[in-house]
Order: sequence, then structure tokens, then C-alpha cells
Amino acid sequence: MTRMNQPEIVASGITRTYQEGSRRHTVLDNIDLQIQRGESVAVRGRSGSGKSTLLNLLGAIDSPDSGTLVTCGVELTDLDEHARTLFRREKLGFVYQAFNLIPTLTVADNIRLVLELNAIVRSDADARIEELLGAVGLEDRAASFPDILSGGEQQRVAIARALAHRPRILIADEPTGNLDDTAAENVLELLEQLVRAQGGTMVIATHSTRVAAACDRSIELHNGRLERVE
Amino acid sequence: MIPVRWRASFSYLARHRWQLALSIVGIAIGVAVIVAVDLANASARKAFLLSMDTVTGEATHQVIGGPRGVDAALYRDLRVTHGIDDIAPVIDEQLTINGRRFGVIGIDLFAENAMRSFTAEADSSGDANAIVRDFLALPGAALMSRRSADSLGIGPGDRFTVVTGGQSAEAVLVGLFGGDATSALDELMAVDIATAQAWFGMDELLSRIDVRIDGDASAFRALLPDSATLLDAEGRTQATLDLSAAFMTNLTAMSLLALLIGVFLIYNSVSFSVLQRRGLIGVLRALGMTRREIFVSILGEAAVLGLLASLLGLVAGSLLGEQLLGLVSRSINDLYFRVSVTDVSLDPVTLAKGFIAGMLTSLLAATIPAIEAASLQPRLTLLRSSLEQRAGRALPKVALSGIGIMLAAALLLMLSGRSLAAGLTAVFMLIAGFALCVPLIAKRFAARLESLAEAVGGTASRLAVAGVGSSLSRTGVAIVALAVAVSATIGVSVMVNSFRVSVDDWLGIALRADVYVSGSGLPISDSDRQRVISLPTVTAASTSRLARIEDASGTRSLLVIDMAPDAYAGTTLLDADPETTWPAWESDDAVLVSEPYAYRFRVSPGDRIDLRTDRGMRAFTVLATYQSFDVNASGLMISRSTYDRHFDDVAIDNLGLYLGDDSDAGAVVEAIEALPGARLSATSNRAIRDLSLDVFDQTFIITDVLYWLATGVALVGILSSMLALQLEKDREQGTLRALGMTRRQIAGLISTQTGVIGFISGLASIPLGLVMAWVLIEVINRRAFGWQIDITISPVIIAQAVLFAVIAALIAGLYPALRAARVEPAIAMREE
Repeated sequence: MTRMNQPEIVASGITRTYQEGSRRHTVLDNIDLQIQRGESVAVRGRSGSGKSTLLNLLGAIDSPDSGTLVTCGVELTDLDEHARTLFRREKLGFVYQAFNLIPTLTVADNIRLVLELNAIVRSDADARIEELLGAVGLEDRAASFPDILSGGEQQRVAIARALAHRPRILIADEPTGNLDDTAAENVLELLEQLVRAQGGTMVIATHSTRVAAACDRSIELHNGRLERVE
Repeated sequence: MIPVRWRASFSYLARHRWQLALSIVGIAIGVAVIVAVDLANASARKAFLLSMDTVTGEATHQVIGGPRGVDAALYRDLRVTHGIDDIAPVIDEQLTINGRRFGVIGIDLFAENAMRSFTAEADSSGDANAIVRDFLALPGAALMSRRSADSLGIGPGDRFTVVTGGQSAEAVLVGLFGGDATSALDELMAVDIATAQAWFGMDELLSRIDVRIDGDASAFRALLPDSATLLDAEGRTQATLDLSAAFMTNLTAMSLLALLIGVFLIYNSVSFSVLQRRGLIGVLRALGMTRREIFVSILGEAAVLGLLASLLGLVAGSLLGEQLLGLVSRSINDLYFRVSVTDVSLDPVTLAKGFIAGMLTSLLAATIPAIEAASLQPRLTLLRSSLEQRAGRALPKVALSGIGIMLAAALLLMLSGRSLAAGLTAVFMLIAGFALCVPLIAKRFAARLESLAEAVGGTASRLAVAGVGSSLSRTGVAIVALAVAVSATIGVSVMVNSFRVSVDDWLGIALRADVYVSGSGLPISDSDRQRVISLPTVTAASTSRLARIEDASGTRSLLVIDMAPDAYAGTTLLDADPETTWPAWESDDAVLVSEPYAYRFRVSPGDRIDLRTDRGMRAFTVLATYQSFDVNASGLMISRSTYDRHFDDVAIDNLGLYLGDDSDAGAVVEAIEALPGARLSATSNRAIRDLSLDVFDQTFIITDVLYWLATGVALVGILSSMLALQLEKDREQGTLRALGMTRRQIAGLISTQTGVIGFISGLASIPLGLVMAWVLIEVINRRAFGWQIDITISPVIIAQAVLFAVIAALIAGLYPALRAARVEPAIAMREE
């Protein structure tokens, strides 16, 4: 894995605080972290430990108060909100615990939306959707609306959507949190298989030891600090 | 202590302040509009009655004469020969001061004590007798109210100019009205009867003789000649007031429209709050709260909303009423009778009606969502999709009930004869029935629009359009509210436009002469007439006189015409052959009746109408109905020769001049106005036509104002719906932001959605708008005013309405779009 030698994410001393009434609450405190290209990393920690905040920062959704964050060679802290949006659109994919599919769009259109945002031409988009739905085993559900799919099926659509534009990094927040064991196993396999096939980097926030074990490495947050790196 | 379940309800409302505020504003505007219209109507009516009461004073009856008035000799005869003291002569006319119209009452101060209690404020020397002395002695001496004098910038002792019959005369203000009734006498001046007779060219004539009779009036009546009649004073006042009844009913109906749209708003707000709290309601049901308790708590919220909105509406309505009062009183002055009213009188009954309407509206609108909340199964309350599906499944049934209501409206229209109230009720039933069909139409239409949207703007556009159809439980009511408001705009615009086109066509036919000449409010003298028709370019002339004939059955406006050969074609006969009708009209004791008159009094050719002539009651045969927009439904047309046989009135009010080919009408107008010593005003055909259409447009200003207010309520509905929708869509929009949609794209998405809402509303409004136009023209106008209008549908009006709906929706969606653009992508990460 030659590409694993190049750092895809380099966070140096990043801190994020929030104002809570009259006092300031530090959610992430001076985090240093490097994630190599093609690496899969599980972020663990109790509820409120700062996992989602870290994912928001790594996913260019939020900006740190201090420190630097270089992702895919781009210093994210230098980017304004609009530039971060365009960065997210091109380089990142997201999978959520609550799936967050657009209920008014069909399965195929949920995936197509991301391809359109990335200006993929229609014929290529059609081919890519077919390919991805085949890969997640939902080729016969392209015209279905999300609300008639099972939780596992919805999450598979979400994975297809997240990978549709071949992002360099996949950010997943408790992707198996709402699924039963069998569905969780399927989703995990899919993530492994598809992200690895694309040579992508994967950051997964999880409580699950099984998910963590499937990753190359685990980090653990405790009260906003990085406690353990395995 | 407030029960926890109530606190749960109200804490929800408190957390959704925008939604709460918009619902309150919507219903408050509705309440404000009905209160304002009712206050304006009631104030105008009250001011008129108060003014008439003060002017009529102690008089129980009035003696009126023929078209010229009452012979002053009759007054002298009654007083001197028959020794009757309780009578007073009156001149009741109008003039202008500084371009403003004032009423004039000419009185004989010596006869007044028996009749009126006009008092004057003492002058600076404190000598009220000095005022009486001046009133009797000074030429042009006048009294008026302090407010009228202040508004003219004059005070006691000041001289001012009055204009009557195109001539100026000098008046002097000798004092101000005193006593309690002074506000009832605004824009009215009292002068000595001799002064009034001189100003209005009524030598030896009176407008009426006021009489006070205790008990039986038959002995007094027996003293009167054929040319005079005795009428009940109160009855005359009421008959005058009744003229404006249809006008006021129509205004009230228009004001109810704003409240109806307010109903949608409250319904929207309450049903949305139920949708959003399905989880809470599920928990409360699971914890043991009964259906009834859920129902009551939802209605309780609506009652609080209704209470706040109604109170706010009363305050706003009182303020708005002052603004509308000017428009209402101007229309009444233009169309019916002189009324001066500057202050809104806060009638407790009106305020109570507005309050009750607001409360009932709120409770009524909340009933369906409250029933729905109470009927939800606890397990279902947690599934939004099942709610949406249920709503979707209910749409055909809802639409079917809407069709049922519209059919009932059609039945009501067919069976209700001439009832205006039933006609207006049918209009509201049509609106309500159609409103129930709109969500289904919107759903089907949005579904069809989806593929088009995708072809044009890709998946993001499709997403925007799909959002409209799939969120009908929230967007549906906004679409309905806007569709109803826009359809009302289409209905009224098509009606007004059809009316305008009909009036314009009618003017084109009716105004046959090239130049019209009037005596500026006074009859044209014979010498002036001779001088005008002797002008070299004048080839023929018609003369006309508008004579009012009053008896116990009401007032008729007798249009007395001596037709020039070309003038006959100016009158369109609706139900008789012109070839045989016109000769009979010229020679027989016959009249033509205006279309509104024929409708109101159910008169048709061959019937006979009794008129009080100077020779006593005479029967006249109705030969035909002629087309006319006679607002008072009192017009009869009679030939000059027939009129002269029955009335001792040779006066002419107008001349219609027919010019030779290639004559310049402008030059003739100038020549007439330059005639030395003539009291004439000349106007070209074109100018009269333009002036008539200006008056027409002025009359409909208040209609426009009321429809703008109704549309304002609908816009609040869109804003409220879109904001409420945003609350539900935060996570979806956060996800889209995380996927890489820029703020601008999100704002564009929401704007597209609101634009589509506007477009669907606009399209949906077309059929209802056209049906409303048809009902307004064929039923409401006919029943209210008796005239018939040809319907003219201008594609421009339809296109403007759809465009207006889109723009209105886009404006209302602006803030929600900006708000959606500010949604942070991090929200998608949060656990539900």
C-alpha cells in the first residue's frame, strides 16, 4: 500500500470550543492526528466525548478555533464557508447513523443528486448509479422511495450515495448504530469493500468494537482529548 | 396552577414564536378588515342619519312638489290662508367651496323655532342676537360648523366664495353652529332662504316644506294641490339610506373574504403544530391522556390564538376603518347621497361582531386538526410517513366533498331567486368547495411537473418540485390560501374589466352628440340655448332634463329628452322594436324604463307606471327597457313632448350638439365657453367619455384595497407555511449542505419550491376565478344593481394573476430561503 505512506489528514493542535451560557465549553482540546491515505480509522469514545465534533472538523463542516487542519493537501482553516462547501462536494462522502436520505427522491435520484452536484454528465451518472446499486445489491430498488426500504437497505443507499463521486475520504457517523446485527455486518462489509476498492480513506465514529476491529486503527476521545491511539 | 399538559402545549407555541406570530397576524388582518368595513359602513350610515335627524328636526312630514320643487305660494297659502304655524320652507341644494362639495340648507329663521333647533355659538362679544341680526341682514350670510370653517381656513366675519351653476357668489360666515349636533352638520351651511333662492335660481320655489303634524295627516293632505304631496320624513330618510344597501352588502362580503383566507391560516398553523408534535401527542396518549383531552388542548391553543388575534384585529380594524371611511364615503357621495363623515364611531356591536368572528374562525379552523390529533393511534403518531400517506389517501374524498359543496352552491344559485345574500353565500360555498379540491389538483400537478423540472434543472429542481407534492399536509393549505386570494383577484378583475368594457361600449353608443353643454348644475336659460344652437357648425341639438319625481313609493329619475334625429340610436332598446317604439314614445303617454329599474320593480313592456305629475297621478305605458348602468335603479325615459303635457317645467339641463362634417369639437367648446354672460360649461364627446371612465375607476378603488388586504393574508400564509416546513426540513437541508450544496443552491431550492407553490396556486386559481367572475357578473351584479354585463375575459388578466401568484410566493419565500441557506451541515450529524 504505497499510498498509505502519504498523510491524507493532518490535524495539529486543533481545539474547538462552544459558548454555553456564560461559560465556554471545550469540546476538542489540542488534538494532533494524522491519517494516511487509504487508511481506515475508527473514532471511539463515550457520548459527548467530541466524536461528532471531530468528524465535523475533519469533514470540513466546521472549523477549529485554533490549530491547523490539512486535508487532501488543502489547509481547511484557510477556506471560507463557500470554499469548504466545494471542497466537501468534491473530496468527501458522508454516511450518517440516521441515513438522511432525501425522502422525496427515489433511490437512484438520491445518488444522482451528488453526481449532478459534481457535474457528472447524465450518461456517466446513469452508469455509475447502476454500478453502485449493483454493488450494494439494490439494483431492483432504483425507482423506490426511501421510506419503503428497510433500515439496512436505506444505509446501503446512503453508502452508494456517499461513494458515488469517488470521494477521497468517507466520513461515517455511527453507520451501523440504527441497524440489527446482520444488517450492520452487511453495511460494514460494504464499506470495507467499496472504500478500499476506490483506495479511499475512511473515518468512522463508532461505539461498536466490531466496527473498530474492522478498521486499520482506532483512536479514542475522552473529554475532548485524544487518549489512546491503537 | 396550570396543568402540565397545558404547559406542554403552550411551551410548544412559545418555542415557535414566528409561527405563532404569523398565525396571529393572519387572523388579525382578517378580523381587522371586517371590523374596518363594518365600522366605515356603520359610521357613514350613522353620520347620514344624524345629519338628517338634525336637519329634519321636529318635522314629521315633508311637502314636496314636482321636478322644479314646491311653489312658494303654497307655503304662504298654508301659513296665511289656513293659519298653519308648524311648517317651515326649505331649500336643500349643493354648491362648492374651494372645490369641495357642501350641502346648503336655506331656511326662514322666523319659521324655524317650530322645526329645528339650530343654535349658534355666541360671537366674541358674547352676543348671540348679533349673529341672528347679521344672518338676516347681511347678503350671503351663512352658518357652518367650526370644523368645516377650520378646514376652509375661515372664521366668523370672514368672506368666502361659493360656486353654484358655474357662477361665483360671495358669502360671509356670520357664526358657527353651537350645541351637541355640530358634528352632524359638517360640510353643510345654513343660509337665509332668500339667499339660497338667489344662488340656485329658485325664485318663488322651495325644495320642500317641512311640516310637524301630531296625529292624523289626512286633513293637512287635503289642503295640498295635485302638484304637491305629503311624505313621511323618516320614510324619506330611510328610502335614501336604502339606496346604498347593496353597495354596503357587497363591501361586507369582500371583507369576509379576508377572514376566510385567515381561516386557512389558522388551520394551517394548528394542523402543522399537530404534525410536529405527533411524538409528544403519542407519548401523552400512551401516558393515558384521552382523545377528548387531546382535542380540548388543541382547541384551547386555537382559542388563545384567536383571542390574541381578535384583540389585535379590533385595534387594527379601528385604525383601518378610519382609512376606509374616506373611500366608502366618497363612493356613497358619488353614487347615492351626500354624507359628510370624518370620524369612525366605534360601535360596540361592530367590535363584538369582529371579536366573535375571530374567535369562531379560529376554533372552526382548529376543529379538523384537533379531531385528527385526537384520533391518532399512539403507534402511528410516531410515524410521519403514515400521516402523510393518510393525508394523501384522504385527498380524493376531500376533493369529492368539495365538488359536493360546489354543486350545492350551484343549486342555491338556481333556487334563490333574487336574494343577494343567497348569491353571496353561494360564492363563498364555491370558494370553500374549490378550496377542498385544490390539494388534489396540486398533488397531481406537482407530480407531472417533476419530470419537467428534472429535464430543465436536474435532480435539484426535481427535489424542489417533489417537496411541494410530498409535503401537502403543510404546503397544501398555503397553496389553497394563495389560490383563493388570486382567484378572487381574477374574479373581481374580470368582473371589473367586463364592466368597464361594457360601460365603455355603452358610452360609445349612448354619447352620440359631438359636444355636450350644461348649465353647471342649473338649468340652461332659453336665451343661452338659442345662442348655442345658432352657432354656425351646429347642425342639430338634443335637449335633456333630469327631473326627480318623488312619492310614497320612492324617487324616480325622469330623463326628459328631445331627441335630435341622430340621437335615437344612442339608446339601446333591449326588448322592443325601435321602428315602432320610438314613434309611440314621442306621441303617447309612455316611458322607457332602465334595465335596473325593470329588474328591481319587475316591469316589462306593456305594464303601466303611475307617476305623480303636475296634473295629479297619471299612468304611463312602458314601451321598452333600455340599457343603462343606473345605479339607483330609478331611471325612466320620457319624451319632451309627453313631459310638457304633464309637467309645468320647461327647464333644460343639457344640450347635445351635433356638428357638421369636419367641424372641430374643441373649437365649438371654446366658442360656447366664450359666449358673453352665459353660465355654460361645454365638454367634447371624448372628454365626457374619459371623465366617465375616471369616475368608474375611482369607484373600484375600495375593491382593490380590500383584495390587496386579502392577498396580504394569503402571503402571510405562505410565509408561515414555508417557515414551518423549514423546521421539519432542517436535517434534510443540513444533509444537502454536507453533500456539497452551497448556501446559494439551498436558497435556490427553497425559492424554486415557493415559486412552484405560487405557480400551482396561480394555475389552480384560474378556474375558480373565472367561475367567480361569472357569478359576480351574472348573479351578484344582477341581484345587487339589476344591470347585465357582457363577460370579457382578458388573457392579460389571467397571465398577470399567475405571474402575481409566483412573485408573491417568491417574496413570501425569501426569508425562509435565506433561513434555509443558513442551516449548518452539522445538523445532519445529530441523532434524531
